[in-house]
Amino acid sequence: MSSKPNLQHVNTKRDAPQARPALSAWRDWLGVAPFLLFAVLFILLPSLSLFAGSFQDSKGNFTLQNFVDLMDPSILGAYWVTIRISLVTALGGGLLGFMMAYGVTVGGLPRWVRSALSTFSGVASNFAGVPLAFAFITTLGRTGMITVLLKYIGLDLYDKGFSLYSFWGLSLTYMYFQFPLMVLTITPALDGLRREWREAAENLGATPAEYWLKVALPILTPSILGTMILLFGNAFGAYATALSLTGGFINLITILIGSQIKGDVLHNVGLGYALAFGMVVVMAVMMTIYYFLRRRSERWLKQ
Amino acid sequence: MVEAMRRNTFWSWFWMAVGVLYFILPLVATFIFSLRAKKGVLSFLAYERIFQDANFWETFTFSLTVGFVTILVSLVLVVPTAYWIRLRLPHLRGMIEFVTMMPFVIPAIVLVFGLIRVFSGAPFFLTNTFVGTNALLVAAYAVLALPYMFRSVDAGLGAIDVRSLTEAAQSLGAGWPTILFRVIFPNLRVAILSGAFLTLATVIGEFTIASFLVGIKAFGPYMSLIGQNKTYEASSLTIISFLLTWAFMGLIQLFNRGKSDGTLAGAH
Amino acid sequence: MSYLSISNVSKVFGGVVAVEDFNLEVEKGEFISFLGPSGCGKTTTLRMVAGFELPTSGEVLLDDENITYKSPNERNVGMVFQSYALFPNMTVAQNIGFGLQVRKAPADEIKRTVDEMLGLIHLEKHAEKYPYQLSGGQQQRVALARALAIHPRVLLLDEPLSALDAKIRVELRQEIRRIQQKMGITTIYVTHDQEEALSLSDRIVVMSQGRMEQVGAPSEIYNHPTTEFVASFVGQLNLLPVREVDLQNGTCKLNGQLVRFDHSEPRQISDKPRLAIRPEEFQFGQAGDRNVVLGRVEVVMFLGAVVRLRVRIGEALVSVDLFNERNMALPRVGDDVTVNFPAHACWIM
Repeated sequence: MSSKPNLQHVNTKRDAPQARPALSAWRDWLGVAPFLLFAVLFILLPSLSLFAGSFQDSKGNFTLQNFVDLMDPSILGAYWVTIRISLVTALGGGLLGFMMAYGVTVGGLPRWVRSALSTFSGVASNFAGVPLAFAFITTLGRTGMITVLLKYIGLDLYDKGFSLYSFWGLSLTYMYFQFPLMVLTITPALDGLRREWREAAENLGATPAEYWLKVALPILTPSILGTMILLFGNAFGAYATALSLTGGFINLITILIGSQIKGDVLHNVGLGYALAFGMVVVMAVMMTIYYFLRRRSERWLKQ
Repeated sequence: MVEAMRRNTFWSWFWMAVGVLYFILPLVATFIFSLRAKKGVLSFLAYERIFQDANFWETFTFSLTVGFVTILVSLVLVVPTAYWIRLRLPHLRGMIEFVTMMPFVIPAIVLVFGLIRVFSGAPFFLTNTFVGTNALLVAAYAVLALPYMFRSVDAGLGAIDVRSLTEAAQSLGAGWPTILFRVIFPNLRVAILSGAFLTLATVIGEFTIASFLVGIKAFGPYMSLIGQNKTYEASSLTIISFLLTWAFMGLIQLFNRGKSDGTLAGAH
Repeated sequence: MSYLSISNVSKVFGGVVAVEDFNLEVEKGEFISFLGPSGCGKTTTLRMVAGFELPTSGEVLLDDENITYKSPNERNVGMVFQSYALFPNMTVAQNIGFGLQVRKAPADEIKRTVDEMLGLIHLEKHAEKYPYQLSGGQQQRVALARALAIHPRVLLLDEPLSALDAKIRVELRQEIRRIQQKMGITTIYVTHDQEEALSLSDRIVVMSQGRMEQVGAPSEIYNHPTTEFVASFVGQLNLLPVREVDLQNGTCKLNGQLVRFDHSEPRQISDKPRLAIRPEEFQFGQAGDRNVVLGRVEVVMFLGAVVRLRVRIGEALVSVDLFNERNMALPRVGDDVTVNFPAHACWIM
């Protein structure tokens, strides 16, 4: 027992003869100091400031009133719409993206389709905000190309109750950057499905359906859920697309925060901070789940 | 079995077609619309008007410059840090990675809200000056760029076994500048370029943060303004902006050729 | 009629012949190895028995049933993969029980079989662990148990040990043989490791470039190789150029010295005849009725149980293996030595 610490001591000495351990540890930390300083200034400080602000009234006194005020139906409604649109586009975009990624990985599509898909996904997942909104207005707006074409063959979308400037119109627009992101993140997971798993399942008597239900999908589940959470966050924080499309008409949390920054529309600064803080809480919960899911799938897929 | 295969491919093609239509229809519609600025004929008039607009060039140059400065700043922040934690502080990896993921937790609108609250007042007063405001903009963008910059650079470092390379260089008598500039950085070129172009693609058309900090000086807010007033010019801008994104992504793919698909992620 | 019969089986992949005219009759309970270098077609043949590949021609019969085009999930043959291929989302017990579960076996039967299999591979304590919590050797034992749990008609093992450390490899090899004999299960074992094939098998099929080179018991393959490929792939073989070959009397000239060889088996002789002899057949010194030749030591390698020398005999460099003895005086590089070997241990190729 006593020989062990001794041994370690000798080892440390041999590894770093030029500096005492304490000093070198201190110097090692210096290497990441600029990064940490930046993080404290531009990530931690703003977050803490919003956090602190949400516990203050307009005179700077401590209060929990702001969180009580969050229960206001219009604010809860905004949260609810934002969450719903994030869920819908994460599910819809996730499904379409998964099907496309499936096609190029295990679905038997030729290789060139795969490389074309990866390029286009890279572009489309980064194509968002103002120009995306314009593109959808010229396509599905009241006088958009598809709207007019469909009217020509006898289907009047807007008569049937569709509007681009509504919940579903915005969802359709968000999905433009959602499904390519799904393609990009789920393709590696599908690639991780090893041929031997399929063969082993078949060899043990499983049908293709049983293989998918009992082996492939369970293995993919953490990755699929994890990616959907990424998509959720992607839509949850979106502001530019929604603002350009609906001109602030739709009641999203991000739009509400935007108006609050411009001119205290809530007539309560603290409530604005609480609103923002609430968004961070929702996202933090989501990212925590994401973290655990990713850890699980990494553990399964390693080697 | 052969029949099952054929049916599988049918559905694969079907979903691929749905996705491709989804992707292409808005672009086609926008492009056709952008050609109709002149009544009765197709023309590039809308594009001409945009390219003759001094504000277009001003805002574009501004955002491009901000993009380049952001890349520089984030490289200076990320590369040495990623290198150092691989070499000396591997136990800090989790924490640093956590920090770089923060933009996924803090939406851009919340980030800019917090930044304004902290830095517009005492003791910083950054938003009162031209330099201060732009510095804040760059800082905000550097935060947004952290996830892809870090992931890209860290993956690049992971591919080259930094520790052995550094030790090999040291044993051959190299000093720190030689190690960094002649051994490590050249091996990171692809990773750095991918991260840089992804940053550029996000920053140039960025609207949320730019609109609150600098207003229509930046390209994103400029596009938004055009959209409210001039529909044909707006669609030509959409096409231009799309081509820009395509160009950046194409460049990334070009650098990454022979490697895996590259790690792309968006935050809107 | 034998239990498993592979007749005239060929497989062509896009113009490339992977397996050519493969014929094998396997008796019930037999342990057969397919031995050969990578790309020789041994794995492809195995996969045709498993049903993952369909033969271009020929047929596979199992227990008098033609299974050539039967889909893999209806064959009831067990397979163990090189990469274990355990399902990462299932525990050890769930992995082992998978085959019975998809067969809709009752829960108590599944449990009984799983327990029995866990006992067989000595992993009772790990039933509820996930594959990533096990070592490579343990994972492969679970894979073996999983394949055996469905009581397969044939057990197929595709290089099951090649991803493991040397020591575990030997351990698990004995384990596989023990279980195979205990269950009396017909087994085909694919490997590129001659030691594995020699130590495990009842019979070995040596393959090269899609063709069967030789089929036989391990000692037969090693001692009486029928082709040059088999002779040099299984064990070490010296090939020494010789002149004045007299097949009738079994004599030739090696570096000017008269050597007698085994001419009991009829053989073809190429235009450049060579004398084949294994390194362990040599001894030092003079010996009455054995072949005796002179040479010079060029390399001495001490390998532990064996000392390997490289001895120059004329233009040929010959490997000579001696068993180590504690007080043996090792020859030194540059020493002139006399080596002898029996006439029945060498032959002309």
